[in-house]
Amino acid sequence: MADLGRAALVLCLGLSLYAVVAGAYAAHSRKRRLAASAANALLASFGAAAVASAVLFSALWRHDFSFAYVADSTSLDLPLGYTLSAFWGGQEGSLLLWLLVLTGYSAAAVLLNRRRTRDLVAWAVPVLGVVAVFFSFLLVAVASPFVTQAAPLDGQGLNPSLQNPYMLAHPPLLYLGYVGLTVPFAFAMGALLSRRTDERWLVATRRWTLTAWTFLGVGQLLGAHWAYVEVGWGGYYAWDPVENAALMPWLAATAFLHSVMVQEKKGMLRVWNVLLVILAFCLSLFGTFLTRSGILNSIHSFTESSIGPWFLGFIALVTFGSLALLFLRLPLLRARTRLESAISREATFLYNNLLLVALCLTIFWGVVFPIVSEVVRGEAVTVGPPYYNFFLKVFGLPLLLLMGIGPLIAWRRASLAGLRRTFAWPLGAALLAGVVLLALGAGSSPVGLVGYTFCAFVLASILGEFFVGTRARRSLSRESWPAAFSSLVARNRRRYGGYVVHAAIVLLAIGVIGSSVYDSTAEAKLGPGQTMNVGNYALTYTDLQERETANAREVRAEVAVSRDGRALGIVRPGKNSYPVEDQVSNEMAIRSDLVTGEDLLLIAEQVNPDGTVHFRALVLPLVNLIWLAGAVFLAGALVTLWPDAREQRRLALRAEGRLVDA
Amino acid sequence: MSRRSNPARLVIALSVAAILAVFLLYTSVAGGTPSLKPSELQGRTGIVTLAGLVIAPVRGDAHGSGLRFELRDIGGSGSVPVRYRGSVPDLFRAGRHITLTGELRNGVFVGKPGTLVTKCPSKYTAKKQT
Amino acid sequence: MTLAVAAVLAMLAVLFVAAPFLREPAPARDVLDEPDAGRLELAEERDRALAALKELEFDHRTGKIGDEDYRELVGPLRSRAAEVLRALD
Repeated sequence: MADLGRAALVLCLGLSLYAVVAGAYAAHSRKRRLAASAANALLASFGAAAVASAVLFSALWRHDFSFAYVADSTSLDLPLGYTLSAFWGGQEGSLLLWLLVLTGYSAAAVLLNRRRTRDLVAWAVPVLGVVAVFFSFLLVAVASPFVTQAAPLDGQGLNPSLQNPYMLAHPPLLYLGYVGLTVPFAFAMGALLSRRTDERWLVATRRWTLTAWTFLGVGQLLGAHWAYVEVGWGGYYAWDPVENAALMPWLAATAFLHSVMVQEKKGMLRVWNVLLVILAFCLSLFGTFLTRSGILNSIHSFTESSIGPWFLGFIALVTFGSLALLFLRLPLLRARTRLESAISREATFLYNNLLLVALCLTIFWGVVFPIVSEVVRGEAVTVGPPYYNFFLKVFGLPLLLLMGIGPLIAWRRASLAGLRRTFAWPLGAALLAGVVLLALGAGSSPVGLVGYTFCAFVLASILGEFFVGTRARRSLSRESWPAAFSSLVARNRRRYGGYVVHAAIVLLAIGVIGSSVYDSTAEAKLGPGQTMNVGNYALTYTDLQERETANAREVRAEVAVSRDGRALGIVRPGKNSYPVEDQVSNEMAIRSDLVTGEDLLLIAEQVNPDGTVHFRALVLPLVNLIWLAGAVFLAGALVTLWPDAREQRRLALRAEGRLVDA
Repeated sequence: MSRRSNPARLVIALSVAAILAVFLLYTSVAGGTPSLKPSELQGRTGIVTLAGLVIAPVRGDAHGSGLRFELRDIGGSGSVPVRYRGSVPDLFRAGRHITLTGELRNGVFVGKPGTLVTKCPSKYTAKKQT
Repeated sequence: MTLAVAAVLAMLAVLFVAAPFLREPAPARDVLDEPDAGRLELAEERDRALAALKELEFDHRTGKIGDEDYRELVGPLRSRAAEVLRALD
């Protein structure tokens, strides 16, 4: 069986190589059949990758411990879901997942664009092939998931902290995001290679970028939720290098999604857009590299692995190659129009891009700083959350404000009278909110107050946009309010879907500000019957209970929670001991208040032999808005992604019927 | 080539300058913490982050008088006694790799509460406390 | 057994890759077509101009642009759009 897997991977490598060589030659010499053949090779490489994946899945399913990979990360008593998810739990399997998703996306991109943009696809095929060659080469020669051994009686099992539903979804979602950024990159390179200056590559890949970006966003939120609930230190984001590894390409992709709109409407920022898509793709490769190579002192990463140098080499190759190509084609990409005014919607998009890229680069600098300082000063210096939080405030707060300002400003240039008109309502709402918040005590943190005021401004701006848009539509079509609203959104899916996404970001900001700036913590060692206070809550430790389950010994402290004298129930923080894996896991208790969005976290840090328990309690206001933001984000992204029949028809007419012999 | 001033270029230049200024301001004020091995700790003052291997025996109470153990270089022989009070991650035990932020005081490395982070060498994500 | 399966897979892959040549051993034309760059860019220009007009209209209707600004901007946009439409035909 393992032989079949290995053979499939070799086949994949061969097919990808053919796609690169034949595809490049066919695109260069304009040979139709050879180009089709190269595209077929890419499609077939997906088949080969699928066969290899099926072999690994079947080995996992059958608990075939002759596969070293299966023995390393599963055991006989592991539930099926986690056994199958061990596919991407280890290094080799995750590379195979990358290859599977990459070839799958490549196949889809080829099939979907074959008719309309055949010449563009002809160049995208070899570029996609190059990435596929890299990953299949790694899998064939450097890190094979099909290493066999004398099968032991049982496997090593899975870390208990990974045995929860989030770990089933988090890695595949992130990979669907990372890999998805390859397609816009390939089409951009294809456009450059073919010396085209039109925007078909942008239009063809817009939904790909959106989809990849959505997956990355949702994947990260799931990861944050997992860290919050399962790892249980009272936080959801630690600025760990591997967390940043997913954030950086997401930020670059966000910038790209915005600047693309400027290019579509004004024909500007063409060079900048290519740079952004190169940055996003290189960052996603870098992110994969960070997670899998152990080069940084990160808790996510593994010890020194063999794929590190290869990855670094490939990233260097891609970066320099694409930048060189861009440089060569620079004369073709000169913009035709210029920025007319520093106060126009184009300008706000530009500022938004600058802030996003600045944030992305400062995070990048923080991530590589230990390596750089080691090389330069001989000593690795790490930067921690204070560095990242500082820059998040410096760049994030203006970004927040821009989200509200952008929609209120007209294209090309805004007049003072127009600004006065459109800013009145959101500014008024923001000032009112600021006064109310100040009265409620939010002034304890000036940054928090400013942040909240900005959020109020943006929300008011978004609501205003929906309102005036619906009203304008009504005056045209004489529809009822609901009908006008839905036809408004239907006709401008990108804009209004985008506004929903902005609203999600505002919710996220409110949740983050509330839980990080207005939180309360307390620690105490309690004996039975004793009480501690945190925030508005009183926590009384009443009893200690023990329970044996199939694979664990569970110890729980019963704690009664009350607020302002009213009893709110009992929480049971504690610890689980797993004899097989010889591990202890922290089981934090969370009490979520759905009305205020606040969470009370209680951690039983240490259970002493005499029955006393050392507790750590946290109150995080508004933290549940973060998870709500995830749902709103997804909804907004779906609205933006929804196929628009009218637009499809227009693009089809634009492309078809214009083919000529050149 | 238009002679009219192009706001875009000016905006970009000013923004880049502003960003660089903020950068320099921050890194000169705050700065990061050096990452060291126990053997490099000799005579060092100030807050540093130590990375090493926990050597048995591990004695004491992290929430009482303090956890006491030896921390050795990963792949080396230099070691330093450590005292730590604060949250301890679940994966912590003798034989694991950890990082701890603190400073050397009278020959003992005293860790700051909540900075003990455990690394799991061969598996996926490890537990952490920050 | 696995060798046989692998061999079959390899053969299928080769067939699939060679399919374009097998389907058309001697085609009349084997050139990869490209759309006319000039027309394509004009079409994109046209769409851009028409979209800009729509946006201007919408911005005016929702109060972001005052009446005088609208009057000032709509003329050039309309003539640009007309120009592009003429060039396309």
